[in-house]
Amino acid sequence: MAEKLKGKAVADAMKEELTKRVEALKAKGLTPKLGIVRAGGRPDDLYYEKGATKTLGAIGVEVEVFAYPEDVDQATFEKAMTDVANNKEINGILMFSPLPKQLDEPKIRALIPVEKDVDCMTQAGAGKVFSDDVSGFPPCTPTACMDLLKFYNIPLSGKKAVVLGRSMVVGKPVAMLLLRENATVTICHSRTDNLEAVCADADILIAAVGRARMVDEKYVKAGQIVVDVGINEDPDNPGKYCGDVNTAAVEGVVEQISPVPGGVGSVTTIVLCKHTIMGCEAQNA
Amino acid sequence: MTAKVISGKEVAAEIRAELKKKVEELKGKGIHPGLGVILVGEDPASVSYVTSKSQGCEELGIYDELIRVPADTSEEEVLNMVEKMNNDPKFSGILVQLPLPGHIDEEKVVNAIAPEKDVDGFHPINQGLLLRGEECPLPCTAYGVQKMLMVSGNDPAGKHVVICGRSNIVGKPLAAMLMQKAEGANAICTVVHTRAHDMSYYTKQADILVAAMGVPEAIKADMVKDGAVVIDVGVNRVDDASKKSGFRLVGDVEYDAIAEKASYITPVPGGVGPMTVTMLLYNTVECAERIGKV
Repeated sequence: MAEKLKGKAVADAMKEELTKRVEALKAKGLTPKLGIVRAGGRPDDLYYEKGATKTLGAIGVEVEVFAYPEDVDQATFEKAMTDVANNKEINGILMFSPLPKQLDEPKIRALIPVEKDVDCMTQAGAGKVFSDDVSGFPPCTPTACMDLLKFYNIPLSGKKAVVLGRSMVVGKPVAMLLLRENATVTICHSRTDNLEAVCADADILIAAVGRARMVDEKYVKAGQIVVDVGINEDPDNPGKYCGDVNTAAVEGVVEQISPVPGGVGSVTTIVLCKHTIMGCEAQNA
Repeated sequence: MTAKVISGKEVAAEIRAELKKKVEELKGKGIHPGLGVILVGEDPASVSYVTSKSQGCEELGIYDELIRVPADTSEEEVLNMVEKMNNDPKFSGILVQLPLPGHIDEEKVVNAIAPEKDVDGFHPINQGLLLRGEECPLPCTAYGVQKMLMVSGNDPAGKHVVICGRSNIVGKPLAAMLMQKAEGANAICTVVHTRAHDMSYYTKQADILVAAMGVPEAIKADMVKDGAVVIDVGVNRVDDASKKSGFRLVGDVEYDAIAEKASYITPVPGGVGPMTVTMLLYNTVECAERIGKV
């Protein structure tokens, strides 16, 4: 039976390390702070905001929410973002996307300074992920994948990693991060012929395709490590969610697998915290 | 099987003929493509590149201006020249010939180029757009490889493309281009590099194999699947006493043996090389068109 790569152990270890870094900053009179900017309030976003405020707060990182009504106009929202961008006390900016239709989202994203772009919302941030410029922050979820692999001492150099899915939120950036660690990387997607065989050939399979339980025993092989990044509504259990991997079908085959829930998702908010702290450190270096 | 040769010269000539028409058409609409080139120092290879770019511009009716300054020019002066070109509507494309002398921070200079005029596609904003799959000037060599595949009837859609080499100039941009959900893309891409335990394991799987490591003849015939399309981006000098120059140019693949089993192959020289300058001209025209739309 496959070992579960649980996110909680990763998150706990990171919390401990990050708390020390925050203490060191506080000794210098600095408190890392995340600014959340939003227009409207989707239930999912509010849920995330609440969780992030609690998690970051426990590590000593402040969160300030800049909430605007859903019908906010472009000029007001642009000014809000510019103020947050110029606010020296704010080290990282998170903006909930997509923005309401009346707003020009690319224009507003571009107002986020790349050094505060803790979830890779800007083009320049994405460019830094592409070119291995470590002064940029990759998005939180792919970073969480990498932190999870690192925590469990899973070797990447020279290994064959297959990334299933090519979204900008996970697939493309995680491919770049795996290359950085000297893995050979294959990116495949739902348009791929013989997709199952391509995935089954991996030493490390990153499932980020966004289809509930699609990855079954045909996609895996013995000895494989599977990281499940999917968060899908569970078709069999309304109100619950599940990953891209059919755990019951593969756990008898593979070596290790990250569960959903309780895997990568539990690390993502800690990565947001880490990036905010790194921002504070870099901006005050 | 004996491979068909994809001649970069021929593909480039085809693209240039189309571009020439396009330039005339744009001029009719009041849009004049222009390329500004900054060359610092006297490096012979750089001088030769810059010359071929100017000739290309002349051939296609693209306005071009070359600023040549001595190797001891300060970083500030170079940045000022870039800034002037950024603000000058005569230029739809700006190119600072690399490498720059050691006292100039290349990254700083590249980042100073207005992204919409960055015809090399190296600006971080353009690299971000590229990774996202949005419209931007694409790095010329990678763009040239994609064009050669399309023109030769080897659409990468659904194919397994294996790219050897992960540079920011060729390997990674090409992977980023070909993995997108877009025309001329939709491939499965594998990026493999010298740290792989067994490169041939991957190269043998390739429907389309792109060699871009810069290692002379590193890809041998037994590393290639029968019927594969082989694109050789490498240009390496190897000693050859029989040549007057004392060297000859070879690619990253063992050409003669692989030509026996591949379905298509690109030669070195005369393959990907001629495409690079052509795609720079292409970008200059595309940038003019995009800037003109705004």
